[in-house]
Amino acid sequence: MDFNLSEEQTLLKDSVEKFISANYDLNDRRKLAQTSLGYSEDFWKQYADLGWLGLPFSESEGGFGGDLIDTMIMMEQLGKGLILEPYYASVILAGAALRNGGTAEQKDKLIGGIVSGEIKATVAYAEEQARFNLNDVATTAEKSGDGYVISGTKSVVANAETADFIIVAARTSGDRADAKGITLFLVDTKSEGVSLANYPTVDALRASEVTFANVQVSASDVMGELDNGLGLLEEIRDEAILALCAEAVGGMDLLYQDTVEYCKQREQFGHALSDFQTLKHRFSEMFIEAEQCRSLLYRATLEKNNGSSEARKLIHALKYKVGKAGRFIGQGAVQSHGGMGVTEELRIGHYFIRLAVIDSMFGNFDYHLDQYTELMTIPEDKGEEDSMPFM
Amino acid sequence: MDISLNKEDLAFEKEVEDFLAEHLPRGHEMWTKRAEWFAALKEKGWDVINWSKEFGGPDWSPTQHYIWDKVSCREVLPPVMPFGQVMLAPVLMKYANKEQQERFLPDIRDNKVMWCQGYSEPGAGSDLASLKCKAELTDDGKHYIINGTKIWTTMGHVANWIFCLTRTSSDGPKQEGITFLLFDMKSPGVEVKPIYTLGGSHHVNQVFFTDVKVPVENRIGDEGKGWTYAKGLLQHERKGIAGISRSVYALEKLKEKAQRVPVGDSRLIDDAGFKKKIAVAEIELLALEFTELRSLADMVNSGSPGSQSSILKLKGTEMQQTIHELTLEAGGIYATPWGNKKFGPKFSKGGMEMYLNGRPATIYGGCSEVQKDVIAKRVLGL
Ligand SMILES: Cc1cc2nc3c(=O)[nH]c(=O)nc-3n(C[C@H](O)[C@H](O)[C@H](O)COP(=O)(O)OP(=O)(O)OC[C@H]3O[C@@H](n4cnc5c(N)ncnc54)[C@H](O)[C@@H]3O)c2cc1C
Ligand SMILES: Cc1cc2nc3c(=O)[nH]c(=O)nc-3n(C[C@H](O)[C@H](O)[C@H](O)COP(=O)(O)OP(=O)(O)OC[C@H]3O[C@@H](n4cnc5c(N)ncnc54)[C@H](O)[C@@H]3O)c2cc1C
Repeated sequence: MDFNLSEEQTLLKDSVEKFISANYDLNDRRKLAQTSLGYSEDFWKQYADLGWLGLPFSESEGGFGGDLIDTMIMMEQLGKGLILEPYYASVILAGAALRNGGTAEQKDKLIGGIVSGEIKATVAYAEEQARFNLNDVATTAEKSGDGYVISGTKSVVANAETADFIIVAARTSGDRADAKGITLFLVDTKSEGVSLANYPTVDALRASEVTFANVQVSASDVMGELDNGLGLLEEIRDEAILALCAEAVGGMDLLYQDTVEYCKQREQFGHALSDFQTLKHRFSEMFIEAEQCRSLLYRATLEKNNGSSEARKLIHALKYKVGKAGRFIGQGAVQSHGGMGVTEELRIGHYFIRLAVIDSMFGNFDYHLDQYTELMTIPEDKGEEDSMPFM
Repeated sequence: MDISLNKEDLAFEKEVEDFLAEHLPRGHEMWTKRAEWFAALKEKGWDVINWSKEFGGPDWSPTQHYIWDKVSCREVLPPVMPFGQVMLAPVLMKYANKEQQERFLPDIRDNKVMWCQGYSEPGAGSDLASLKCKAELTDDGKHYIINGTKIWTTMGHVANWIFCLTRTSSDGPKQEGITFLLFDMKSPGVEVKPIYTLGGSHHVNQVFFTDVKVPVENRIGDEGKGWTYAKGLLQHERKGIAGISRSVYALEKLKEKAQRVPVGDSRLIDDAGFKKKIAVAEIELLALEFTELRSLADMVNSGSPGSQSSILKLKGTEMQQTIHELTLEAGGIYATPWGNKKFGPKFSKGGMEMYLNGRPATIYGGCSEVQKDVIAKRVLGL
């Protein structure tokens, strides 16, 4: 039993840390976010050179053969830097889609380019009416000759503007909210009929509403099984949640650490703010919540990595906990900074925002608590008398 | 990162399971076959698991202790009062002289002498070091004369002996001048008065000392150094309080019971609101189990528990209380007939007793507020 990082994992962690501290201070980030691209192509190239873009892909696919634990380490560090590059969209989301559902041809076509940084991709799963329900897909893909015609609009698609390919969930049969009848398609963003309305999100990243107006795709663009795309979407969601929560946990550590440091310096009423017991206790609770999130992150990631049947349940538990604790830690940090907490000047405000955004992605804490509750095991009642007098 | 147990540990887990299956008296036999159970434990060398090897302990690794807790918490073991074996013995093993060790440890091991803990006083609770109970050395240097009072003394009314923190000097910081003494509860001048806790139980007492004469041979270690000895002991107390594995098991049991509670034609376990509260508790425990494992892994790998360990007592006791509350809620109106074993859904005790008896967990062993202060100081550097 051992929670230490291997030598390679330590190297990975150190190299990301080094990159972030050299390139991602808050001012640089702000300037970068205001450029028209919204991130740095130069950094993207460096990510490729450092091997980060190939991390989750197997060596036979041209990647570096990392597992979910490696991705967790990567995302935690990237989370501390609040990076703007489309790592999450291209490597995590599209990567998960390709690895779990891509045909040999599709993998061939994309993975090499993703790893080298020449191709970017994203996944379009959400729709306006669906809220967090992955089943609810109104976008249709109708059979037409050898291929399909896709019509509909997808919501808040991460980094679609710079994606060369969009993997889209569309309905090939059944009613709008049926579990069956969903199929994923690999769509070239330049295809006729694809149009994008781009915007920044509050965390300084970019997203788009993506409309498909009679977009033609061929049968070879089907990703995963026809009509059974929900399973693949859920796989993507599981991996995405693990990555997002790793990012969140990285931010949580900095949130409580920065807050403690700030309150040690800041004097009011003739005392450092950190002398007040209410604040000490708030900080202890922030620390505890962050550690509890880390524990669940490790647990869910390890179980998923081992292919355990408990993994999905744990991932729901994790997303719930990170959402809840994220609120508590983020709000505690802002509150303890007083007026400074609500400015753009300190990084805590930006983590606070990012945690709120992460909670909204793939279902907020209420949603995941419901999902967890549904999957919770209820042991058979053996009708025993209460046998725990010393509890 | 790897959470699997190695081959030896898995074999040990099996050994514990087999041992319990063979020897543990269940149901009513828990009371009638106690002696056989303790004999079997002793024969196996598992009767004093927290003792060092030199004194007859099994010398388990932290992982083995963890496995024992995890397996045994699924059963009800005939209880052993913790005061002698768990709390006092480690202090004796570390700080007492050889003569004292030979005099006291064997009877503790065989449960022949029942001990109680005389620490808290009316004026010294969380701030234990401010205790005042006075011990004065007689002119001939052969005895201490004790005057003062101790409160919340659990089992003081049935205990044979007490280990007691007394004040031998008031000069200097309050942590100095505290002396650790052992004495017979039948000594002249000892008076025990019951304190009834919520629900009317009698477990705790106030104990008064008037000129109680204690031989110096009963002093552990040096005069005035008792605080150091006691502090080590408090750590042993705290370790036991978190009870995380047991809470996991208790929550499973609650899910079973909630199937027995009717809500019209439905069952409580199908009540969405109740079920969600169980889910929230379960998620917190899933996290806490791993926090404990992480602390254990640090212990195994580096010899000291990581900063996560500071969370265990605080969160562990909170979770116990959460489960008590849920159990109380599950009882509904049948949680109110006191001592109920007969009426309503099949709960021998309802949740009320758990609920009432469970409150002290966040008060003793370092109250939750003090635990948070400790985290702020040790972990956050405040
Ligand atoms: C949006 C906005 C608009 C404002 N507009 C105006 C304006 O128009 N004119 C004006 O004069 N001012 C204005 N203010 C300032 C406002 O009054 C101060 O922010 C407020 O008094 C708190 O002071 P502070 O920000 O320095 O926080 P601090 O005093 O540094 O306190 C920081 C945090 O420490 C904690 N804390 C503070 N004291 C204690 C204590 N004794 N015990 C325990 N915890 C404590 C609290 O969590 C608090 O939030 C504005 C502030 C904001 C955010
Ligand atoms: C059932 C039971 C059994 C016990 N058995 C024994 C025994 O066998 N032997 C023995 O010696 N003692 C025993 N105790 C005593 C126990 O150790 C004390 O109750 C404990 O140390 C708390 O002291 P107190 O009750 O005086 O509370 P106080 O110290 O008066 O504290 C009251 C409350 O104030 C708050 N508080 C305290 N300190 C702080 C702080 N620094 N910051 C913020 N808030 C704070 C907490 O909410 C705390 O609960 C027992 C207690 C109980 C309830």
